[in-house]
Amino acid sequence: FKDDFSTSPHLFTPMSPYDLELPTQTASQLSQSKELLTDFSSVDLSFLPDVTQDNKEQNLSEDGHETQKELIGSLPSDEDSGVLMDESSLSHPGAAQPSPEASDICPPLTPMTPLTPATSASESSGIVPQLQNIVSTVNLACKLDLKNIALHARNAEYNPKRFAAVIMRIREPRTTALIFSSGKMVCTGAKSEEQSRLAARKYARVVQKLGFPAKFLDFKIQNMVGSCDVRFPIRLEGLVLTHRQFSSYEPELFPGLVYRMVKPRIVLLIFVSGKVVLTGAKNRSEIYEAFENIYPILRGFKKPS
Amino acid sequence: MAARGRCPECGSGSLVEDAHYAQQQLVCSACGCVLSEGLLTTTYSDEEHLREVAYSQSTGQKEQLSRCLQRGSRRVQDLCKVLQLPAAFEETAVSYLRRALQHPAFRLLSREKKELLGGCCVLVTCRQRSWPLTMGTVCSLLYARHDLFAGVYLSLQKELGLSVPALSLADLVTTHLNSFRLLQPAADVPAAFLEDKEQLLARTVAIVELASQAWLVTGRHPVPIVTAAAFLAWQSLRPGPRLCCPLARFCRLAGVDLPPPAHLRLKELLEILQGMASQLSWLRGFPLDRKVVVKHLGELLQHRLFLLKNAFSQHGEEQQDTAPGQGCPSQGSGPPSSPAGAQQQRRPWAGPARPGGPRRPLLPPCLLQPRKRPRSAPSAAAATGDEPISDSELEQYLRSPEEIRALSRARACL
Repeated sequence: FKDDFSTSPHLFTPMSPYDLELPTQTASQLSQSKELLTDFSSVDLSFLPDVTQDNKEQNLSEDGHETQKELIGSLPSDEDSGVLMDESSLSHPGAAQPSPEASDICPPLTPMTPLTPATSASESSGIVPQLQNIVSTVNLACKLDLKNIALHARNAEYNPKRFAAVIMRIREPRTTALIFSSGKMVCTGAKSEEQSRLAARKYARVVQKLGFPAKFLDFKIQNMVGSCDVRFPIRLEGLVLTHRQFSSYEPELFPGLVYRMVKPRIVLLIFVSGKVVLTGAKNRSEIYEAFENIYPILRGFKKPS
Repeated sequence: MAARGRCPECGSGSLVEDAHYAQQQLVCSACGCVLSEGLLTTTYSDEEHLREVAYSQSTGQKEQLSRCLQRGSRRVQDLCKVLQLPAAFEETAVSYLRRALQHPAFRLLSREKKELLGGCCVLVTCRQRSWPLTMGTVCSLLYARHDLFAGVYLSLQKELGLSVPALSLADLVTTHLNSFRLLQPAADVPAAFLEDKEQLLARTVAIVELASQAWLVTGRHPVPIVTAAAFLAWQSLRPGPRLCCPLARFCRLAGVDLPPPAHLRLKELLEILQGMASQLSWLRGFPLDRKVVVKHLGELLQHRLFLLKNAFSQHGEEQQDTAPGQGCPSQGSGPPSSPAGAQQQRRPWAGPARPGGPRRPLLPPCLLQPRKRPRSAPSAAAATGDEPISDSELEQYLRSPEEIRALSRARACL
């Protein structure tokens, strides 16, 4: 046997056959195609193949147990609940595919909470990004004596030569706060919006107990960071070729690819191991939406098994 | 410039100052009637309507190049001369520099960073014209700190909205090998170490392609990979006298720096090649060590696609490894049904693949040897953010009066 291949470098051609179909879509086209997909919610899905043994194994091996968990995809923010119900009904047969009778049974429509987005008609990733960090700010609306606070609080550190704020930490929820003398406070480290709010309230209470008339005004979440794993390695060189206007990949500087998504305005760090970090969101839904936007792009760079 | 007044003939107000054979005339643009001409002197009343134009508002100010732009252009020109770049590159780089310095983000940069701006413009130009120039080279030429340079480069890319293509590895190999001294006869280089450039280049490019197919290139710094590949290629072209030469000595003889990750890349490359060698039928009897791999590197590269496919399982085939009659049961991968909700356990794959044993998947090394254990997702603690906060919980964060007194005394002593 002799492999007959030319020495022309195939260094960075994406390995999948889908790369020809990957247009350099602008973000508006991306959201447009998503809207087209959601329009298929009323389409008859009986053409889906019957669940055979091979299908079952493939489903189990590929998507694992994400399809058996609650399917969470992305949701355009102004979609009404009627369409939500439709999508949930058509997605559940897909979820229950490992059981043979699934395609005939329409499972009961579970009411979806507004925060959990619905699935789209095409394949959803089934992967939910986990929130890792929330940064929020709040205004305590009173001038603070930082030296006094550092003296009277156990969990505070204050080094005016290094930084002009008190750094305070609490154990539950495990967070850190920067408290400035103007009364403004930044709270970081929480894993959910509610935890961030609870932590900020605890800091405000501590400041109150220290003798300052602290209030709790204008609590606002400034940044949310999430991360997840797509479970397959990604050809970053190919991704930067097809999405040049959004991606920046400098292996000499940083091992990951920085993808600046336009809608929603989120920055994603994509690594060769398949791990994705999403940051710059003000809401949880932006992170989910950004991930659902990037997942089909990344799947195009998965080597076909 | 439209002057005041109305045309006496047609009454329109659109009067224009025009020149007829260099003689200034005030003409109505509607009917063409000449109102006045030849204004060489102005009367005192005319001058009242004239406004003085300050120098800062005139175009003379803008045409004068600022000092930092002059300095930056000179630096760009020097860089292009040292790197022997084509003339067109210099113009492009200077135009980028001019655009950047007009941007408010760069006008107020510290002097140290402004000096790097010229280097960044040159780098962007080279990347866009597929001229392989590494950041390391530019940094060393400018005596710049690498992190400062990285910051300026990234902000330049962002502010000017430039799309910079990635560094092409094939071109980088060519320029990197150009700087090797082993390609020409020299005093301290033994005759057995001399190598023909074309052969070395072709083989190094082949090894680098193999490395990129085997996920060794993505996300990593390119220069150590090229160095390791060049070393392997050089050794394999004449294994006899060269096998005993270590990588460090090779780099010293070649006159290039040895980047620290090159040893690791070499190890990874050898591991991949050993796996591939295990699939060659005429190598079955030999122990799969470094020497055999280097000696037969040419054949391994010739059949690399086929060997890669056979030696390593593609992603997604992991689950089918437990087919009967394949591999020892003790080494079999986990059962196909992973535990619910948990990530797939990635066992570290150590050692070369054995023929007939379960095949190692072709994955990036960071996936094969995960350094972190997957953490389970934390349970949802607070349902709402408005739970009551108990006083006792906050008491733990407040100092007691004795503590405060002790602390003040201690601080007074310091």
